[in-house]
Amino acid sequence: MKAKKVNLFFKIVLIFTGFLALWNTCLYAGKSQKLRVALTGKFPPFSFYSGKGRLIGFDVDVSKAIARKLNRDLEIVTTEWDGILAGLLAGKYDAIIGSMAKTPQREEVVNFSIPYYISGAQLFIHEDNKDEIENIDALRGKRIGVGLGETYEHYLRKNYPDIQVVTYKSTVDIFQDMLNGRIDGFVTDKLVGLYQIEKGRMPFVTAGKLLYEESIAIPVVQERPQLLKKINKALAEMKRKGELAAIYKKWFEEKGKDFETAAGIETKIIVKKLGKGFAITLLVAFSALLMGFVLAIPSAVILNNKAFFIYYPLRSFNDFIRGTPLLIQLFFVYFGAPQVGVMLTPIQAAILTLTVNSSAYMSEVIRSGLMSVDCGQILAAKALGLSRLQSFRYIIWPQAFRIALPPLMNSVVALMKDTALIAVISVGEVIREAQSIISVTYNPMKYYFIVAVMFFIFTFPLMKLAGRIEKKIKEKGFANA
Amino acid sequence: MLEIKNVRYLYPDGTRALEDISINFPREHILALLGRSGSGKTTLLKCIGRFLKVERGKILLGGRSVYDLSEIDLRRSIGIVFQDLYLFPHLRVIDNMTLAPRLVMGEDSKQAKDTAMVTLKKLGIDDIWDKYPSQISGGQAQRVAIARALVLRPKYLLLDEPTSALDVDTTDEFGRWLVRLKEETTFIIVSHDVLFCEKTATSGALIEEGRIVSRGSIDNILKKTKR
Repeated sequence: MKAKKVNLFFKIVLIFTGFLALWNTCLYAGKSQKLRVALTGKFPPFSFYSGKGRLIGFDVDVSKAIARKLNRDLEIVTTEWDGILAGLLAGKYDAIIGSMAKTPQREEVVNFSIPYYISGAQLFIHEDNKDEIENIDALRGKRIGVGLGETYEHYLRKNYPDIQVVTYKSTVDIFQDMLNGRIDGFVTDKLVGLYQIEKGRMPFVTAGKLLYEESIAIPVVQERPQLLKKINKALAEMKRKGELAAIYKKWFEEKGKDFETAAGIETKIIVKKLGKGFAITLLVAFSALLMGFVLAIPSAVILNNKAFFIYYPLRSFNDFIRGTPLLIQLFFVYFGAPQVGVMLTPIQAAILTLTVNSSAYMSEVIRSGLMSVDCGQILAAKALGLSRLQSFRYIIWPQAFRIALPPLMNSVVALMKDTALIAVISVGEVIREAQSIISVTYNPMKYYFIVAVMFFIFTFPLMKLAGRIEKKIKEKGFANA
Repeated sequence: MLEIKNVRYLYPDGTRALEDISINFPREHILALLGRSGSGKTTLLKCIGRFLKVERGKILLGGRSVYDLSEIDLRRSIGIVFQDLYLFPHLRVIDNMTLAPRLVMGEDSKQAKDTAMVTLKKLGIDDIWDKYPSQISGGQAQRVAIARALVLRPKYLLLDEPTSALDVDTTDEFGRWLVRLKEETTFIIVSHDVLFCEKTATSGALIEEGRIVSRGSIDNILKKTKR
């Protein structure tokens, strides 16, 4: 019996060190002379995944050309649009080549290169309404969709205050709500809109002239004027030699038809992407759970005993973690850590944040388990000569754990689902992979349903297991001991 | 020999629980501490078992203060069974009994199990060895708690209200067990069950408001208090 327990202990240590090793492989491979460029990977035809699973698009080609001119290796980071500027400021990458418009607000925090193309804001409407809606003035008092964080939102609110602006995470979501009739039109870049409408075979048409034009340029942090200078030089050369025009032609006149986009996306690639995404989801979830659990035990003991001087800081910390959104915690860890000199990869930041977060929740659950153990049990253990550690290990902990197990299982399931949030710090977990598939297949229901099923396959047995353990404990008669 | 000399104990709020208690417990006896609830008898038991620290006076075991003994020496000399028993609900009867011998006395699993089975048999409950505490009766639980203390072979075993959960027949039977076991272990029983003490104990003391007001044979004590 004892040998068995020692064995289990070693297994846990082994698994733990395994995770640590994985953690280390997630580290950036040193600070090489790479040009690290960010884009979303969900914005066809500027950046998206081809039918063969390769990242392609206008912005990708521009990035490659610039890296070549700078004589650097290119590393592309795909990240959510919401957090893309924060990532640049935190030094996660050197530049954003992701069709970002130059605006006065953005220029306050970053420096922009010379423009690499001009974008025109265009209103699109359903083709059934094309006779009634001539231009944007016909939509006063109506609802118009735009992408979250895009410049169109600001423009509409300022110039058409009587139009209701609805923001969306992606064009695919906008298309869905156009079809559902929730919005009467949407504003996006004219080229992007036309391209995506054609690819998705959507019944939408342009209405009126361009609302305005804007310069699309490359932002770099203000502290790196040398890099900006080099990028500007590269862009100027590309313009002069017609290289930029060639890339433009490839994507907007030939519509990239020879570039693996016509056939949609292969099933093999979909399976691979979702599989990889889910593997990352599981890696993050289980590392965070394991480490969170290990941390939660001493935390729970401290919280339960209130005796140590660390009680009050720990109590406040736990309350803070449980009382603030996980999303914001992720931002803080990922974007804030570099400011204090700790460079974390997205996966490390995700695991760290989820570990702390799950530990806060689990320590409360375990604490209530410890609390529900009769203090007479400690007396009895002492009367038999057991040391404090032995009494915790053999008497208190097993009882507390059995009581805490069902709610702990709930924490596990909740944490599994919380991993969906880590996409915001550019971890390629399964939902982000699904979104990138959706950005070229225009079929959100299908792929979100598949992802939901993948989650359920994992969470369902956990919930069943929790139910069975609960029943077993009740049979043994100390559920409320 | 267990000696108690001039012991005083105050509750944390300052009220007096025990005052000037002096009593000796010779071996091979069953000694009863009688008294109403609140008279201080359980407090005295907890002082002897070192769960409470006395304010004044001495508790000596073989001439040495119990406060000077190591934890292990103390627990191997003086066992205690609380009124609420506190069996470990997540462990089977046999595991409840082998835990301390294995962890504290360093016995191996088989040795501890053999001793436990012999003890259970002596108490007539060897058939419930693989049951969980929630699956046995109050009388069985009482004996398991005592058996769990006995496997450590203490010189003294303190029992707090051991008959409170037992019916009349089981109480009688339980008394006979104690008489049979007293050669090995001296029992100190706290109880307000005078009938049980009269039948079982060899001598005793009556405690009222924290003081010993009478001592000697149970008969004597009962006569003095006019029942």
